[in-house]
Formats: sequence, structure tokens, C-alpha cells
Amino acid sequence: MTRGPFAVLFWKELLELSRNRGALIPVIIVAALVIVLPFGIVIGIPDMTGELLSQDADLMRLTRTIGGPEGLSPEGQVQLFLFQQFLVLLLLMPATGAMALAAHAIVGEKQARTLEPLLATPIRTMELLVAKVLGALAPTLAISLVGVVLFGTGLGVFAEPGVLRAMINARTLLLVLLVGPATALLSLQAAMIVSSRVNDARTAQQVGVLIVLPLTGLVVAQFMGLFWLSARETAVLGLAILGLWVIVAIASAALFQREAILTRWR
Amino acid sequence: MIQAKRLTRRFGSQVAVEDVSFEVGAAEIVALLGPNGAGKTTTLRMLAGLLAPTSGAITIDGVQLTRRTGAVIRSKIGFLPEAPGLWERLTVRENLVVYAGLYGLHEAEKTIERLLDIFGLGSHADARAAELSKGMRQKTAIARALLHAPRILLLDEPTSGLDPEVIQSMRRLLDERRSAGCAIVLSTHNLDEASRLADRVAVIQKRLVALDSPDSLRRRLTTGRIIVRLSRDSAAYVDTIRRFDVTAALDNGVVAVRLGDPNADTPGLVRALVEVGAEILEVRQEVPALEDVYMHLVRGEPTLESGRS
Repeated sequence: MTRGPFAVLFWKELLELSRNRGALIPVIIVAALVIVLPFGIVIGIPDMTGELLSQDADLMRLTRTIGGPEGLSPEGQVQLFLFQQFLVLLLLMPATGAMALAAHAIVGEKQARTLEPLLATPIRTMELLVAKVLGALAPTLAISLVGVVLFGTGLGVFAEPGVLRAMINARTLLLVLLVGPATALLSLQAAMIVSSRVNDARTAQQVGVLIVLPLTGLVVAQFMGLFWLSARETAVLGLAILGLWVIVAIASAALFQREAILTRWR
Repeated sequence: MIQAKRLTRRFGSQVAVEDVSFEVGAAEIVALLGPNGAGKTTTLRMLAGLLAPTSGAITIDGVQLTRRTGAVIRSKIGFLPEAPGLWERLTVRENLVVYAGLYGLHEAEKTIERLLDIFGLGSHADARAAELSKGMRQKTAIARALLHAPRILLLDEPTSGLDPEVIQSMRRLLDERRSAGCAIVLSTHNLDEASRLADRVAVIQKRLVALDSPDSLRRRLTTGRIIVRLSRDSAAYVDTIRRFDVTAALDNGVVAVRLGDPNADTPGLVRALVEVGAEILEVRQEVPALEDVYMHLVRGEPTLESGRS
């Protein structure tokens, strides 16, 4: 029965979300789109038009930047390249999907007048903010991981032979298990700063959306073949993002002004 | 248990509380009384460690309240804010379970069941907070403040909006907490409540206007008048009374007599009335209602004590 302040607040966040399932519907819709669209683009459209993706010289040039495995057909290589890009989008989904939840986290408590009794307890600011971030992240991360499984299943069924096997590598695992969650943590922690500094939930959400822009820029840059991260570089990137999250978490606790939140917000 | 020393709190150029000092001992209830905007909530928030004073110091249970000691001190305090602040999607029990965890409570289940029982919330334990009446919400919030058996209770308008039955049970509970050695500070607009509950009343209007027991505060307005109730009106009685106070008038057997020295002159008045055959039903010193004292204090009108000083 006895749980620490962090654990009990995290549990409360999940409980509240489970009673407000409507909040997760946009996340589920976005996840479904991010899973279905790639198959429509990479497999459905070429099937309908009869034009193979491998006939596109630009796509083939981009595909060669990642160097596909031996034995994969040219069409399979293009599919592998594109599905890897879409996988990154799927992994960014928790960050974007949970943004509304995180942006609302503190300002929502304030508006519901539940923040004052909460701040009167011995809970530390860091515990409060991290519990809020994880409370927003956990459900969307779970949805995202289910999405990854469905994505993989779709690859096995619809993609060229060998594409699924080629996708399962250290880089993909690092993306799914490290970079995706770390990126989500970082952006949600930043959203928490926004949530504790603005006056209403709408502003929090609008400012929070801006945090996703650099991440989207990264995806676009990779899509354009401007760079391609190896497994080692992906691991370094993931760890760097985690380190950055720790710094942002400390900053969010330092920037959380209990007094200003209680007295200036009306 | 609680020491507030020269507390001042400014919000920009606006002064919310200025130079307020008081102490609250164990097993004592102090009521903060004052009009809207007088600084009652700000004072309670400072005592709860939610707001830092602009100047002055707070000591709770021998430990000075600072940013470093804040978490430890908050664990000793039960705080009821102005609004109940319950998580609406959670049930009454779940709200209490979360706070039990936040306070690191052991055997939380037993404590929660006991409080649900005390507050008559047992049948609503699994109802969501959003479904509760205002009174039920307030009771849940008070149960939440008592969860960790705090030695200090800070209650912002605890009986606001409650029905008389709930108010009565609340008073009993606060009495019990006081008997258990709790130091309690509550803010209220309700003068009757302050009068019934509090050992001392602090009248605040940004500054501390007065701090005393309700009886002592009332005595400040005592003007030396004696109320005498007789069994009937009689001209003979009026003549006798007017030997002591020429302005006195008997109305339905009741007369207010202004005496120079009530302690010395009252026996003489009683003797004189008995000698003319008056049947005396009651003789008492006129004591104003706390409301009258309060109005005098917040309007800055002199009371007996301030007039003397």
C-alpha cells in the first residue's frame, strides 16, 4: 500500500488518464495514420499505378546513402529506406501525442485548483515534474510500441521479402528503445516548463507544439538524405538526448516557481 | 508550535500582510478574522510554506521555515485551502490514497477507513469527487488535511458553505484535534464560529489589529453598563434607578444602567431596588457581540483598551 510520492503521483496521473480516455483518441488516430500511410505510399500507390519506386532515380540515389543489405531487390531497398524514415515518425509520435497532456499538466492542476493542496505536501518539485512527464509519456509510449509491433507485422506481410529482416538491427532497436523514448522525455520535460510558466492550457499547448519543430526538422533532413546515422551514432544520439533530458529536468525544477504559480495565475 | 515574527508580504507594490506577529501554542485554536482582502489567506499560505514572506520569519515546531526546511515542515502541517481542490476524476478514496502516499503514510488503508467513517464518507468512498456535494467535497478535503495526523492544522474557511449539521461535526472534530495537542489556525468570516471555536481571535486588516480571547475582545467594548431585568415596570423602580443613572429608562422590565464603577456600584443598585420592592430576575454586565467588536476594530474605531492606551 505504501508508495513514495513520485510513484503515487505517477499512478494518479495514469488513473486520471484512464478515466479520460478521450484524451488519448487523437494519439491513437495519429498512430494509426502513421502506421497505415507508409504502406499506402510505399506499397499501395506503386501497386495501383504500376510504377515501381525503384524506377525513380532520385529515390535510388537516396537509398544508396544508407547502403542496403546484400540480396535485397532494388524495390526492397527503396522500401527499406522509406520504412526506416516512417519508423522515425512513428517513434516521434509519443512526443507529439503526449504534448497536449504534458502542456496541460501544471496549468490544468492550477485551473482545477488542485495544485495548492498538492504543493502543500512534502513532494519535491523534481518528483512532481518528472511524475507528470512520465504520466503523460507512458500511455503514448505504450501506444507507440504497439504501433511498432503492428508496423513490423505489416512489413512482414506487405513489404518485399527481406525488408522486415533488414529492418531488425541494432540501429532500429536503438531507435525504438532509446532515441524515441529519450526524445519524447526531452520534449515533454520542455513542455512541462512551458506548462509551469504560462497562464492557461491553450497557450501551453500552442507553445508546446513549437518544441516539436526541431525534431520534425531532423526527420526531414534525414529524409532528404542530408545525413544518415549509424547504429553507433544512433546510440550516442540517444544517450546525448537522455543527458539533455536530465539537464532540462533540472532546469524545469529550477524554473518552477511555486509562489508565482499560486499567486500570479488567475 | 507556530511563531510568526513580523511577517510582511508584498505583491509588487501591493502590501498584502504587514508586520504581523503572533504565536500559536499546542492545543490552541487561533481564528484569523478579517474582511475580504485583509491578508488571511496570504498569512495561512505563508505559514504553510507555500509563500515566502517578503520579510519576517516563521518557526514551526522549533524549526525556522526556509526553502531548505520547507519539505520537512510541510510534512507536519495539515493544510486546507480555500477551495477543496480534489481531483474530480478520482474517487474520494483514491484522492485520499494519493495524499497518503505523498505524506509517506504507513497503514494508510486503516487511516483512510477511519477518516471516511469519522466524516460519514463511507458510502461515498467510491464516488468520484465530481459527483459529490459541496459539503462532501469540503469534508473530503478536511479528511485529506488530517490524513497524516499533523500537529499543526491550517484551515482556510473550513466551514464555508457547509450545512449546520456538518459544521457542528466539524467543530467537534477540531475540538478533538485541539485536545490531542494540535495547534490550529483557521481563517473565517463567521464571527460566531470564531467565538465558539477559537481560544484566541486575531483580527487582521493587513496588519494585526487585535489578538485576544473572544471574551477579552468583547470586554474591550464594555462601557460600564449593567443590564437589570425586573419582574415588572414601576415608576418607583425608575426613580430608584435614576439615582444611579439619570438617563436610564425602564422598558418591559429591562433597564441598562451606566455606572461609574460597575464593581463598586452594582451591589448598591441591587440593594436600593430590593428596598423598593423590586423582584430582580437578572443582573449582568453588558457585553457586546463579537461582531460589534469586530466592526469597531476593522473600522479603526477605539475600543476600551485602545482608548485607554
